[in-house]
Amino acid sequence: MSWFRIFIDYFAIFVLPLMIVGLPLYGLIRGVKVYEEFVEGAKEGFRVAVMIIPYLVAILFAIGMFRASGAMDFLVETLEPVLGALGFPPEMLPMAIIRPLTGSGSAAVVAEMVAVFGEDSILVKMAGVMFGSTETTFYIIAVYFGAVNVKKTRHAVPAGLTADIFAMIFAVYLVQWLFGSA
Amino acid sequence: MLNYIWAGLIIAALAFAIVSDLRDAGNDRFRNDASLPIVLEYPEGYQDEARRVPVHIRIDAETYRSFYSVATTPDSVYAGHVVRTQAGTRLFFAGDASLPEPLPRIREFSGGDALQGTLDQENVSSTPAGAPVTATAVRFEPVRFPHLQDIAGAAFDFANTAVQIAIGLIGVLALFLGLLKIAEAGGLIRQMSRIVEPLLRPLFPGIPEGHPAFAMIVLNLSANVLGLGNAATPLGIKAMEELQTLNPVKDTATNPMVMLLAMNTASVQLVPPALLVAVIGLQVNELIFPIIAVTGASLIVAIGTTWFLERVPLWKRSDPNADPGDSTETGEATQ
Repeated sequence: MSWFRIFIDYFAIFVLPLMIVGLPLYGLIRGVKVYEEFVEGAKEGFRVAVMIIPYLVAILFAIGMFRASGAMDFLVETLEPVLGALGFPPEMLPMAIIRPLTGSGSAAVVAEMVAVFGEDSILVKMAGVMFGSTETTFYIIAVYFGAVNVKKTRHAVPAGLTADIFAMIFAVYLVQWLFGSA
Repeated sequence: MLNYIWAGLIIAALAFAIVSDLRDAGNDRFRNDASLPIVLEYPEGYQDEARRVPVHIRIDAETYRSFYSVATTPDSVYAGHVVRTQAGTRLFFAGDASLPEPLPRIREFSGGDALQGTLDQENVSSTPAGAPVTATAVRFEPVRFPHLQDIAGAAFDFANTAVQIAIGLIGVLALFLGLLKIAEAGGLIRQMSRIVEPLLRPLFPGIPEGHPAFAMIVLNLSANVLGLGNAATPLGIKAMEELQTLNPVKDTATNPMVMLLAMNTASVQLVPPALLVAVIGLQVNELIFPIIAVTGASLIVAIGTTWFLERVPLWKRSDPNADPGDSTETGEATQ
């Protein structure tokens, strides 16, 4: 596994500089007016960022309110017995609920779990795999659809959330299987 | 769908805030209008004429625990000062004091940096040892409906955060959209599209042959796989823009758009996200294999779910590219 990690790490280090230098160089060879084209494309950056604002505000303030309301504690309290019966560690519930909502919030949950259970605990491993395997679905919807002004998202939310829920359940069982039971 | 989830989050926030607040009020968690017994010491002597007098505040642990019905223990002594005004005597804790629950919460709601309260009478008795002391009690500002105030505060804070995130994206967006324009002008994007088209065709059947969207999708997904969050977002946005050019109903997501989104939320991760490495450190090496396995499996689930859901009648009807006969229905069904 380690040679693979090293290879990927180096690749990830090189790919960005190569892209940033390589594209203008490529353009130059192809006879593109590189500076003029770059500026023309970059103009879009501001417009797109501003376009995203209403979508992000809508999604983030609703999520912020939900987090501040103490609803999380209540959900954890009510769902704990159900999940315990299914072999899903109840300690993972806050992570599972918050992960699709906010990235920084779920990183804080992992950090808290490291402080409480220690880096080596199986629960932290589960939380780490969950964090690495899923995305903040609502943020992605806001940014990607917001940038093209799409308001009617159709099946995007159910599709994204289904994948997230599956990934979280699979993360718990895979870590249990790999590293022993909780 | 998003309409209901969005409204649900807001309404749930209000409902839970009120329930939590009523529960706190029922348990009298903050002991509003009751006075906590304390002992004050005057290290610089007792001066009843002085407006501002520094004090040491001592709280008996047992008294504190039974007063608030908590298990926390206060420090043995807190620094603070007393201010005498026309309205009465105010006690201020030092701003940096590390207070036991629920005092930090009360501090938050008394709206200052320092915890403060109204002091009962000071009945000073000189001790032979030195500094004069007084046994008295302090009444903190009442805390009413804190969660309700929290959710309103959170709404403002996060609205701000959202704008900061968007503004923070301007630079990266401009950089990558500029670079991609060069690649487009040189013909690289079209070439790439032709190469990757056979791979992506089954997942994105709606995209015409040789369309630049293919290249953008591949670039976006590759950046995701390598954990290059900075690059993935502009590339994903560019891919969405390409897909939007094919969309006859501009405010409604097409099937390829949802597919791209689902593949993004369930993207295979060969490199763990930098945020995770920052939080759990070297342990992350052990997690690389499980993360690849889980993301690989969830990518398949995401593709399968999207494939299935776009065939469900509700979302089939709202497809912008549906047959003219079916596409008349908009509004509720397209949510």
